[in-house]
Amino acid sequence: MQYFTNIKRSMMSVLEGMAVTFSWLFRRPYTVQWPDKIPEPLEKTLPATYRGLLEVDTRICTACLACEKACPIEVIAIEVDRNSETKERHIVRFDVDAAKCMYCGLCVEQCPTDAIHHTTLFAATTPDIGDLVLTFIKPGERALPFKPKDAPPAAIERGAITQALLDSRRGVE
Amino acid sequence: MIKQELKNIDELRILREPVEGEMLVNMGPQHPSTHGVLNFLLVTDGEVMHRAVPHIGYLHRGIEKLAEQTEYAGFMPFTDRIDYLAAMAANQAYAMAVEKLAGYVVPERAEFLRVIACELNRIASHLVATGSMAMDIGAVTPFIHWIREREYINEITEELCGSRLTYNYCRIGGVSHDLPATLAGKILLWLDHFEPIIDEFDRLITHNEIFVHRLADVCAISAQNATGYGLVGPNLRASGVDWDLRRDKPYSVYDRFDFNIVLGKGFRGAVGDSYDRFVVRVLEMRESCKILRQALVALPAGEIRSKVPRVIKPPVGETYAAVEAPRGELGYYVVSDGVSSKPYRVKIRTGSFTAMSIIESLSKGVMIADLVAIIGSLDVVAPEVDR
Ligand code: SF4
Ligand code: SF4
Repeated sequence: MQYFTNIKRSMMSVLEGMAVTFSWLFRRPYTVQWPDKIPEPLEKTLPATYRGLLEVDTRICTACLACEKACPIEVIAIEVDRNSETKERHIVRFDVDAAKCMYCGLCVEQCPTDAIHHTTLFAATTPDIGDLVLTFIKPGERALPFKPKDAPPAAIERGAITQALLDSRRGVE
Repeated sequence: MIKQELKNIDELRILREPVEGEMLVNMGPQHPSTHGVLNFLLVTDGEVMHRAVPHIGYLHRGIEKLAEQTEYAGFMPFTDRIDYLAAMAANQAYAMAVEKLAGYVVPERAEFLRVIACELNRIASHLVATGSMAMDIGAVTPFIHWIREREYINEITEELCGSRLTYNYCRIGGVSHDLPATLAGKILLWLDHFEPIIDEFDRLITHNEIFVHRLADVCAISAQNATGYGLVGPNLRASGVDWDLRRDKPYSVYDRFDFNIVLGKGFRGAVGDSYDRFVVRVLEMRESCKILRQALVALPAGEIRSKVPRVIKPPVGETYAAVEAPRGELGYYVVSDGVSSKPYRVKIRTGSFTAMSIIESLSKGVMIADLVAIIGSLDVVAPEVDR
C-alpha cells in the first residue's frame, strides 16, 4: 500500500514541478545575448562603480606615487625623472599591467585627483599577454605632473584613453 | 582492510594494488560534483564505500603566508579569494580582526552596510549551495532558477561595490562605497520578488517526493558528532545544535535585528540528515530576507568610514575575530609585532575545512552516489578548505 502511495506522491510532485517550470514559459526571460543582440553595448550600461580596466589620465596625475604604494601586488610602475639642475620633475613611465591587476580598487581610492580610475571596459583579449601592459606614457614621452592649484583640463570620456590604447594594440583603427 | 595513511609516495603505490574484494577509485579532482577542485580516494567494494579519504591541497594558494607580505589594508582583496561564494563575510571578519587589534571604531552606517552586504551574500551563497546540491543529485532545473536569482544579487553588489564576486567591500574602519537610496529601493524590490520565488522553489524541489526520498536519512550527523568534529554554521544547526554567532556572540549590529535561528528538526527523516541540511539553508534564506528588510529600514545616516591612518601599525598583540559566514564560523587570528605595517601572522579558520574532516567517518558503508549527497549537503567549497 505504502508503495503505491509513494508512487502517487512522486507523480504528483513531478507534475507540480512541471507546472512551475511551465509557468516560466510565459515570463520574461532573464538572459540576454551578449554581445550582438543587445541594444546598447554593455560598457555603456554597467554601473559607474564597476571596477573594470584601469585608466590613467596623465594630464592630472600629480606623480605622488600613492597608487603605486597602495597596490598590494605591484601592478603599477611609475618612474619620475628629476632634473638635478632645473629641479623639474617629469613622469617618464606609467605602466599598469592589466593582466596582473586584480581590480581591487585600492589604488583608485588613494588617488588625490582621480587621475587613476576604473572604467567599465572589460573586454581586453589580445593574442599576446604583453599587450595588456597599458603604457599610459609612451616610451620616450614625458609628462609634467599636475599641480592641484592649476585649472583642470577638459574632462575626457571615461574609458576613452584605455580603449584607444587597447585598439592601437590590436591594430584597430 | 587497507591501511591508509598517505605519508609518502610508497604508501600510495601500495594503495594502488588491489586488495581482495576492494577497489581504489579516484573521484576528482576534476569531477563535476566535487565543488571545485577536490580529490577523494574511495576504497569501495562495488558500489558500497568502505571509506572516502579527502585529499586536500589542490587549491592551496598560501593566502596566510601572503598576508605576512602585504600591508594590513592591502590584504583585503586576498580575503575575497578564501571563499569565492561568500567573499563579503571573509572581508568583514578580517576588517573586524584588524579593527579590534588597532582599536578603531566603525561608524554605525558602515556596520549596517556590512550587515546588508553580508546577508545579500549569504542568500547568494545558499542559492548556490542548495541549487548545486539539487544538481548533484540530478535535478538540473532548480540550479538554473537559483542562478537566475543570484544574478540579481550580483547586479546589486556590482552597483554597490563594483564587483560581482570578489567584492573587496569592507575597509579597515568602514566600507568602500555608500549605498545610494536608489539601490536600497532596488534591494527592497528584489526582496518582494524573491520571497515568492522561495515558495516556488519549495514546490519545485524542496517538497518533491523523489528528492526527499533521495536525501532523507542519508548520512545523518548526530549533535554529538557535529560538535565533536567541529562543524559550524548550517551544518551544525541542521544537527539540532542551537549555535549561531550572530545571536550568541553578537558582532557588528546583529543584536538589533529580530530573526530566528533555523534548526534541523528531522523534517522528513532523522535529525541532521542530508535533507535537514538542505532545508536549513532554504529556511535561512528567508531569515536573511527578514534581516535585510529590517536593516534597510533602520539604516542610519552618517559616515561610512572612520579616519584611519594610511599605513596601519597596530600595537603589539594578537586577536581573534569571527563572523557567521554562510559556511559557518569564519575567523581570523591576527598577530601584530607592533613595529611593522604587515601582520606577523594571520591564521584563518573556515567552516569547510572541518566539514571535510567528517566526510571520512560519514562515508563508511554508504553508496558512492551518496558521497555526492554528503559533499553537496555539507556545502564544501574547495578554496575555503585549502586557502
Ligand atoms: S586595482 Fe588593485 S591590483 Fe589593480 S593596480 Fe589597483 S591596487 Fe593594484
Ligand atoms: S595616478 Fe593618482 S595616485 Fe597615482 S601617482 Fe598619479 S596622482 Fe598619484
